[in-house]
Amino acid sequence: MIAIQFVRKLLEWVPVAVFALMFIFLGIEAPTLFTPFTIDLMLKQAVPTVVVSLGLAVVIITGGDDVVSGGIDLSIPAAAIIAAAIIADQVTNHGTALPIALAFALLAAITVGALNAFLVVMIRMTPLLATLASSVAVVGITKMITQSKRINVTDPFIVFLRDGTVIGLSAGVVAAGLLTLIYWFLMHQTRWGMQAQATGGGREAADISGISTKRYQAISFLLAAFTGFLASMFVLARGSGSSPGTEENLLLEMVLATFLGAAFSPRRKVTVWGAALGAVLVAMLSVGFKSIGVNVFWTGCIKGALILIVVASAAATTRGRY
Amino acid sequence: MKWLLRYSFLLVIAACIVFFSFWNPVFLSAGNQMNILEGSAILLIVALGMTLVVAMGGIDLSVGIALDFGAAFAVVALKEYDAAWYVAILAGIVGGCLIGLLNAVLIVWLNVSAFMATLGTFFIGSSVQRIFTNGGGPISHRRMPQEYRDLAVGDFGGVPTEVLIAGFVLILYFIFLERSILGKRIHAIGLQPTAALIAGVEVKKIIFASFIIAGATCAIGGLIASANIRMFTPLSGFSYLLDAIAAVFIGASMHPRGRPNVMGTLVGVLFLGILANGLNLMGLNFNTKDALSGVILVLALAFAIGQRRLTSLRKGQT
Repeated sequence: MIAIQFVRKLLEWVPVAVFALMFIFLGIEAPTLFTPFTIDLMLKQAVPTVVVSLGLAVVIITGGDDVVSGGIDLSIPAAAIIAAAIIADQVTNHGTALPIALAFALLAAITVGALNAFLVVMIRMTPLLATLASSVAVVGITKMITQSKRINVTDPFIVFLRDGTVIGLSAGVVAAGLLTLIYWFLMHQTRWGMQAQATGGGREAADISGISTKRYQAISFLLAAFTGFLASMFVLARGSGSSPGTEENLLLEMVLATFLGAAFSPRRKVTVWGAALGAVLVAMLSVGFKSIGVNVFWTGCIKGALILIVVASAAATTRGRY
Repeated sequence: MKWLLRYSFLLVIAACIVFFSFWNPVFLSAGNQMNILEGSAILLIVALGMTLVVAMGGIDLSVGIALDFGAAFAVVALKEYDAAWYVAILAGIVGGCLIGLLNAVLIVWLNVSAFMATLGTFFIGSSVQRIFTNGGGPISHRRMPQEYRDLAVGDFGGVPTEVLIAGFVLILYFIFLERSILGKRIHAIGLQPTAALIAGVEVKKIIFASFIIAGATCAIGGLIASANIRMFTPLSGFSYLLDAIAAVFIGASMHPRGRPNVMGTLVGVLFLGILANGLNLMGLNFNTKDALSGVILVLALAFAIGQRRLTSLRKGQT
């Protein structure tokens, strides 16, 4: 019995150990990787993923962490790219002023969130199915807006998000850091956040104790769609415009980052700071492997293996389900 | 009235048929009806694999990978090893089983949730295909044996082989999932795994086998796809994932207790087939068609599941 407990304790450290070893390995292979310049570059790469992961974390915290019946939102990257497409199309093709273009984009993203909320809360569709379906519809509409073409954006504000600095750090990194703080405060420090966590932890119990769980779940989808809107600006900044097909990679990195974050938290729960940390680690690994010359086709394999190692070791520390 | 509500999705399908045939009378022609069936064959096979997994309470995001592996193993066996057509078919099915086996090991032995396990398999499977084809180029094999090619282009008494194969898989699944003891046990696991375990169902063994069967089923879809275009196109299976999930849930919405079921999945697949075919005949721009079919899919799912909720409200359940 003691031996088993010891093994479980060891397993708890597997996710941390895997990442530590990976970074030690990368640091030895490519000593330039951990200079301030490269770290800033890696953080900049991570910004869009960090922002959408915050949204996914909110939905999972409020909806519960069972992937099929609990909360999940696969449409955040779709909301981000439709917002990005609208901004790019308005600013570059129609000469609209940026604030008005941003307003259109915000409206589109919030519509996606409201659609999800309607499908899940009113129609009672499984979040997985509802957000998958709305994501397909939104990606389709985005194609119609952009005609599957790349649109460049040279607006000074977007360029500032890419190249500008605030107190010596990249503007995008500072913005993402602030956003993480705001979402962390909202979900983990306020009364609203506690009640949202109660909703996710046990829907019926929360209902009985007088929390309007439906409203919390609906708002969580709106908050997630809002991160999609915010991410759209960073997506435009990172790619200097909107390009088709950005959503797939963003979706994969978002899911990977958020669940990695859960594996790092002591109770294996999805948390806001865990999601942000996960997103940074995923981006650092991508850049790290690229810089030591690993074939780019292998990245999917490595990410897949990582997610499985982390999730399996997390599962091994809890009792078997069957 | 209850009956009318439950099957009201069929009315939606009927409305689509009327709309499309007014738009373009070709839609109703016998030749086009066969086109719809042919176009739905692969999706039906994949969706049946998905039905099995969802009925068991899981989800399989790697159906597309199993389809790709089925196609890849068969085409490579034919091209590199000069295998006979039936050996190639066997190789393809083994390829699909391998993906199912990976899922099964992760889910049953390592206790990973089905979503995360099959997502991981999806990452790894996509990456392996890129590595193997050096970036995603197709492997074509023009001189395919006629017997293998007939999987997609042959016919038997005027009925295309792929439709026959899909029909055969459909019947097998119907007997297996809806009429056998094992099928009852699978549904029991999906409803209440702990209760099933206590009742003496060998939960682990059945889940293990089901994922392998689902992988093998999807590989059959891959065989047909590769025979049709005489090549293996990496990552082509992904396009079937959402349609398969949608078909299963549309089907489940028509079941009295909202369970995934074989006949419901068939209706879901035919609806998607009719939709794709009708939109094609309308001659829309490619991007517009994508947007429209996505929006219609959301509406159809909302309707299918919304009316189901209405039905259960009437019975006093929530």
